[in-house]
Amino acid sequence: MRIYVCVKHVPDSAARITIKDDNRIDETVTFLPNPCDENAIEEAVRLKERVNESEVIAVTLGGQSAINTLRSALSMGADRAILIKTDDRPDSIITGRALQKAIEIDGKADIVFTGKESIDSEGMQTMFRLAAALHVPVANNLSAFSLDRRKVTAEYETDAGTTAVVVMDLPCVVGVGKSLNKPRYPTLPDIIKSRKKIIKQISLSDLNIKVPGAKMEVLALRPSVENRRAREITGTPEEIVEQIVKVLQEEAKVV
Amino acid sequence: MNKTYDAIIIGAGVIGCPIAYELAKMGYKTLNVDKLADAGEGSTAGSCAIVRAHYSTEDGVAMAYEGFQYWLKWEEYLDHVEDEKGLARYMNTGSILLKSQGHDWRKVQSNYDAVGVKYEEWSIEKVKEVAAVYELDEFWPVRRPEDPHFFDEPVKKLEGALFCPEGGYMSDPALSAHNIMRAAEAKGSEFLFKAEVVDIRSKDGQAVGITLKDGTQIDAPVIVNVGGPHSYKINQMAEGVYEGCNIKTKALRHEVMHCPSPEGYDYYNDGYHTSDGDLGCYYRPEVGNMFLIGSEDPECDPQEWVDPDEFYAGKGGSGRDNQLTDAQWKAQCYRLARRVPTLQIPNQPRGVCDLYDCSDDWIPIYDKSDMKGFYMAIGSSGNQYKNAPIAGLMMAQLIDACEKGMDHDKEPLQFKLPYTGRIIDVGFFSRKREINYNSSFSVNG
Repeated sequence: MRIYVCVKHVPDSAARITIKDDNRIDETVTFLPNPCDENAIEEAVRLKERVNESEVIAVTLGGQSAINTLRSALSMGADRAILIKTDDRPDSIITGRALQKAIEIDGKADIVFTGKESIDSEGMQTMFRLAAALHVPVANNLSAFSLDRRKVTAEYETDAGTTAVVVMDLPCVVGVGKSLNKPRYPTLPDIIKSRKKIIKQISLSDLNIKVPGAKMEVLALRPSVENRRAREITGTPEEIVEQIVKVLQEEAKVV
Repeated sequence: MNKTYDAIIIGAGVIGCPIAYELAKMGYKTLNVDKLADAGEGSTAGSCAIVRAHYSTEDGVAMAYEGFQYWLKWEEYLDHVEDEKGLARYMNTGSILLKSQGHDWRKVQSNYDAVGVKYEEWSIEKVKEVAAVYELDEFWPVRRPEDPHFFDEPVKKLEGALFCPEGGYMSDPALSAHNIMRAAEAKGSEFLFKAEVVDIRSKDGQAVGITLKDGTQIDAPVIVNVGGPHSYKINQMAEGVYEGCNIKTKALRHEVMHCPSPEGYDYYNDGYHTSDGDLGCYYRPEVGNMFLIGSEDPECDPQEWVDPDEFYAGKGGSGRDNQLTDAQWKAQCYRLARRVPTLQIPNQPRGVCDLYDCSDDWIPIYDKSDMKGFYMAIGSSGNQYKNAPIAGLMMAQLIDACEKGMDHDKEPLQFKLPYTGRIIDVGFFSRKREINYNSSFSVNG
C-alpha cells in the first residue's frame, strides 16, 4: 500500500511572530512540522505498521529549509520524502495541484493523509483542493479512522461536540484531527536512521501546474492585538456559578 | 523625609532573601527591593535548583555540603513559617557523578574525603542496576551534532560513578525564594516589588541610600547588591565599586531542555540527578516525567553574553531572546540521547532560557566593596542556588563584622559553617582575588 502524508514547514507555535515588509513574517524564528501534520504522520505510520508491504512517503511544498520538516517526518517513521521546492508562497489552489502532480509522478496513491489545518494560515482548504485535483473523496478533522477491505470509515468532527461518520473507498484523502492519536516522539536511533533515507527534490516550476483562473494573494499582514484583562467574579458559590455560566453563554458563546 | 532602614538589599531572589532573613535575625531592619513583581521571579525561577556537593575546590564542596542541611530540614530553616503559596519540597533523588574525562572526579573525591561528604563508589554495573536506561559508553570529547564524529560508535566504557545519597533538587526554585521571604518577613524584614533601582547614593565614600526609577529615595548605611544578571549594572551605579573589583561579572544566556522520559520508565519517581561530564551535561527529573537537561558549557558550544535588560525586554518585546534555539536543543538532547538512547525527542523544543550572572572565574563574589557600606553577593554563575541559605548567613556575618569595624580586605572573615564546624576563609570569594585557575570555569564551579 502506498501511503502519502502531506506536511508543512511552519513557525514554532511558541515563537513570537513579527511582521516584516508589511506582508511577510520574520522568518528568523524556528520552523517545525505543522503540529496537526504530526498527527497525520502518526496515523500514516500506524497504518503502515498494520498493512503488509506498505510505504509512507512524506511530501511538502516549501523552501530549502522545509527539508528539516521532512527529516522530522522520516524520523517519525516515513520511508522517504519529496520536497517540491519553491521560494514563493503559493495559495491552497496551487499547493493542492502541486501535491497532486508530485504524488502522481511518484506513483499511485492508495491514501493521502494531511493534518486538519496548518497553524500558520489556518486555511483548512488544501486537503479539499488536493482531493478535487486527484478526483477522490475527502473527509477532514477525523476523530476516528479504520480501514477494512479498501473502505475507510471516518468519524469526523463537524461543530464542537458533534461528529459525523462517512465511509469512503480508497483512494481518498483524510485530514487528521488532533484527537485521533498522540504522535510519537522519535528517539536518537530513529533520527540517525532517518538521515540515510532519501529525499527527492523537484522544482515547483518543473511540475507545469495549470494556472488557475482565480488566486489568493496576501496584500498585508497585521498582528492580532491581544487585549486581555483579568476580571474577578465574587459572591456565594451559587452566584459565582451563575455568573460563569452567563459569561460562557453570552460572551464566550461556547455553551 | 526619606524612609530609612538599617540595610537595603537589591534583589529578592534565592540569595537576596536569605541575606535579609539572617540580617533580620541579627536585629537589622531590612528592605529588599526588586524590579519584578514577587520574590524569586527573576533568574532564580529559571534555576535548575540542583543540590549537589561536587565542586572543583575543597571550600566549594564544604559550602555545598553544608547547604544540604538546610534543604533537608527546610521547614526548620524557615522557622516553621507559613506561606500561602505552600512550601517548596526537597526532592532527595541522590546525585550520580559519572567518572569521566569531563570532570576531575579524583579531585572531587579527595574533596569529599576531606570534607566528610557521605558518598559511595559505584561500578558501571551498579549504575546500570539503578538506572537501566543509561548506556555507560564513553563518548568523550564533547561534540556538537554538526560534528561528523558526533555519531561515531563508542569503543570504551566509563569507569563508574561517585554517588552522593543526600543530593537532589528543589521542586520549585521561585517558591523556595518566596518561602524565605515569608520567613524573613516574620522576623521583621520588608520587601518592595516593581521597584527598579537607578542610583546608589553615597557621601564621602559611604553608601547612604538608593534612588528608584520613580524618583523615590530610600536611605540605609548598608546596601547589598544581589542583583543577579544585573549585578554589574548595579555595581556601576555605585561610585568606584565596579572599578574596584578585580573580578567582574556579566550575563550569559543559557538554555535548559525538557525531554520526555523513555516509554515505560518513571524517571520522575525513580530517576537520579546525574552529572555527566563525558557528554558535557547534567540531568534531573522534571514534572511531567521529563528529563531536564542542562549544559556544562563544553568548549565547543558558543557562549552568548547579553545585556540583561535587552534580554528580559525580549519577553514582552520581540520575544526572540528568551526562546530556545533549534541548534542548542539538538545539541543538548542528542548528547543525552547517546547516554539514554530511548529518550524521546519532540520536534518542538521545550524548556527554559534564562541568564547566568557569571564571574570571570565562575566562582561567586561574596564581599564588601571599595565603597563603605556597599556589599555584594554576585557572580553565582549558575551554581550557587544550592548555597543560597548558607551564603545568606555568611553575608550577614560579613556585613555585621565590617559594620563593626573589621577590615575584611586585610584580615578576611573566617566563617564557621554551623553544621560541619569547618572554617571557610571568606577571602576566597574576594572581589580583589586573582582569577582562580582551580575553578572548572563552568557551571560546575
